Amino acid sequence: MQKEEHPNRHKRQVVQGADMVLNEDQRWSLVDLLAKQTISAGTYKQTVWDVIGELTVKPLTGIPVAFAVLYAFWSVFGSFAGALCTDGFFVKFFDNHFLPWMQAIWPDPNSILYFLFVGDPLADNCFEAFGVLTSGLFIAIGVVLPAVLIFYLMMAILEDSGYLPRLAVLVDTLLHKMGLHGYAIVPTILGLGCNVPAITATRILETKKQRFIMMTLLAIFVPCGAQLGIMLEVIPESVGYVMLFLLIGYVVFGYLLSKIVPGTNPEILIDVPPYHMPQRANITKKLWMRTSGFIINAVPFVLLGVLFINLLYIGGVIQWLSDVFAPVFVHWFGVPKETAGPLIAAFLRKDLAVAQLSNIEMTQYQMISAVVLISIYFPCVATFVVMLKEGWKELLAAVGVLFAVAFIYGGIIHAIGILLGVA
Amino acid sequence: MSKKAAKILLVGNPNVGKSVIFNRLTGSDAVVSNYPGTTVDYTEGTFISGKQEYTVIDVPGAYSLEARDKAEEVAVRMLHEHRDATVVVVLDATRIERGLYIALETIEMGRSVLIALNMIDMAHDRKISVDDRKLQKLLGVPVVPLTAITGEGIMQLSDMIRKAQASDVKDILARAEGRASEPAQASGCAGC
Repeated sequence: MQKEEHPNRHKRQVVQGADMVLNEDQRWSLVDLLAKQTISAGTYKQTVWDVIGELTVKPLTGIPVAFAVLYAFWSVFGSFAGALCTDGFFVKFFDNHFLPWMQAIWPDPNSILYFLFVGDPLADNCFEAFGVLTSGLFIAIGVVLPAVLIFYLMMAILEDSGYLPRLAVLVDTLLHKMGLHGYAIVPTILGLGCNVPAITATRILETKKQRFIMMTLLAIFVPCGAQLGIMLEVIPESVGYVMLFLLIGYVVFGYLLSKIVPGTNPEILIDVPPYHMPQRANITKKLWMRTSGFIINAVPFVLLGVLFINLLYIGGVIQWLSDVFAPVFVHWFGVPKETAGPLIAAFLRKDLAVAQLSNIEMTQYQMISAVVLISIYFPCVATFVVMLKEGWKELLAAVGVLFAVAFIYGGIIHAIGILLGVA
Repeated sequence: MSKKAAKILLVGNPNVGKSVIFNRLTGSDAVVSNYPGTTVDYTEGTFISGKQEYTVIDVPGAYSLEARDKAEEVAVRMLHEHRDATVVVVLDATRIERGLYIALETIEMGRSVLIALNMIDMAHDRKISVDDRKLQKLLGVPVVPLTAITGEGIMQLSDMIRKAQASDVKDILARAEGRASEPAQASGCAGC
C-alpha cells in the first residue's frame, strides 16, 4: 500500500485532542508490532477455488474466461428478456389483445386525446401505434422491464462474486492507453445497467483527468440496460454492429482524450477480494431495490416521454426540426431527416428513442447509424442531472466533447458505410 | 428516548463489510457488493440500544485519512464534520494490518473508538487466528469480533458501542514495545 506516489495526496490534517501524532513510517512499524503480537497464521492449504481464482486473473486463461463470462451474460440476457418474456408473452399480449381492445374502447379515433393516448388507429402493433397507453406501456413493461430485470440479476451476481476487480486487473493495460486504469471497468460495467450509478461510481478514480475521461466516455459510448433491451427487440440482427461501433468509439476516443486532457493517470494497486458465493438474500434485495426503482422512476418517464413527443408532433415542432436539420442528417450522418424526433426522445429515454426509430423507413445500415447516433449524441436527462451534481465545469466540458465526438464519429460511420457500399 | 441520538461513524478500508454492518444495525438497504468502492457516498440510519438512540453513518472505505480519491475525501470529510461521533473502525480479520493503519490514525485524532473485527469466519477458514483480547489490551479500546454477513456478533457490537473510548498512541506504542508496566487503562470499561 504505497500511497506516497499519489500526486493529489493531501497534507496531513491537523489533529486535535491527541498528545502524540506518528508519522507514516512510525505508524506502519507500530502496526507491525501490533500484528506480530496478535495474529498467528496456521498453514493454509490452497483450495480448488483459489486455483480457479488465480486462473481468472492470469491473462492467458483470464482473457478467454472474460469473453466466456460476457458471452454468457449476453446470451442469458437475450434469451430471457428478448425471446422468452418479450416475444414469448408481451408482444402477443399487447399486439393481439391490449392494442385492439384500446382501439375499440377509446372514443373518437380522430380526437387529439386518441392520438396522444392510443396513437395510430390503424396500427396493428405496439411499436407503430405510439400512444402513451399503447406503445408507452408496451415499451416500459413489455420490453424494457424484463430486460433490466435479468440484467440487474446477472449484474448483482457479478458484483457479489468478486469477479469485477479481477476483470479490472485484466483490462488494466488497455485502459492505461485511454488515460484510465483497470478499475475504470467497474463504472463501465455498472453503466451497462444504468449510467446514473456509474457516473457516481467514477469517484473511485483518483484524479480529475481520470474522472473526466470516464464520465465523458460513459455518457457517450456506454449504452444502458434499457437501451440494450429495446435494441435486442427492435434490431436483433444489428445489435452486434451497434455495440462494435460503440466499443471502437470508447477505445479510440478514450485514447484521444487521454492525449488531450491535462492531468495524470497514476498506477494503482488493485485490491482483489476473495471470491464469495453470492448470497441469495443480498441478490434478491438488490434486484428488488433496482427493479422497483425502475418501475417508480423510469416507467412514468417513458409514458411522459411518449406524451411529450406526441405533443411536439401535434405542435409541428418535430417536423420543423426535421426540415431544419435535414441537410445535416441526410448528407453528413446519412440517416433520414425524421431521425430528429427520436433524437429529442433520446434526451428523455434512450429506449423510447430506439423504439421510435423502428417506425421510420430506412436501410439496415441507416438504422445502425441512427441507433449509434442516439446513443452518443447526448446523455439521457437522468444521467445529465447526476453529471451536474459531480461538477458543472466538467459537465460543460463533457457536453462540448460530446457534440464534437457525435459530429465527427457520426460522419465517420457514414463514410465507412459509403466505402463499404451499404450507406 | 431520554438522550438525543448519539452519532456513530463506520470507518475502515474498502470492502471490509461496513455496509453489511450498517444494514445489520439499522435495517437499512445500503448496497452491498464484493468489490472495493461499492459505497462512494455516505448513508445514514438509526438504531436503538440500551435506551439510547444512535444515528449511524456508513462512510465510503478509505485506506488512510489522506484521501486519494473522491470517495475517500467523503470519508475524511465525515470524520471532520462529526467531531462528537463515536468511530467504529471496521477491520477485515483476514487482512488486519492495513486496517490497523487507519485505526491508529483515528485514535491519534483523539476520537472515541471501537474496533469491529469483521470476517472472523473467513479468518478461521484461512487458519488465521486473531487474539482480540490482546489487541484490545494493546490498543486500549474495545475490540469486538464478529461475522457481519451472518449477523454473528452484531448484538455484542451494539452493546459495546457505549464503551468506545479514546486512547493515547504514546501508551499504545509503549505497550506494543513491552515498555509499559500497567495494563491498558480500563476507565469505565469494566467488561473489557
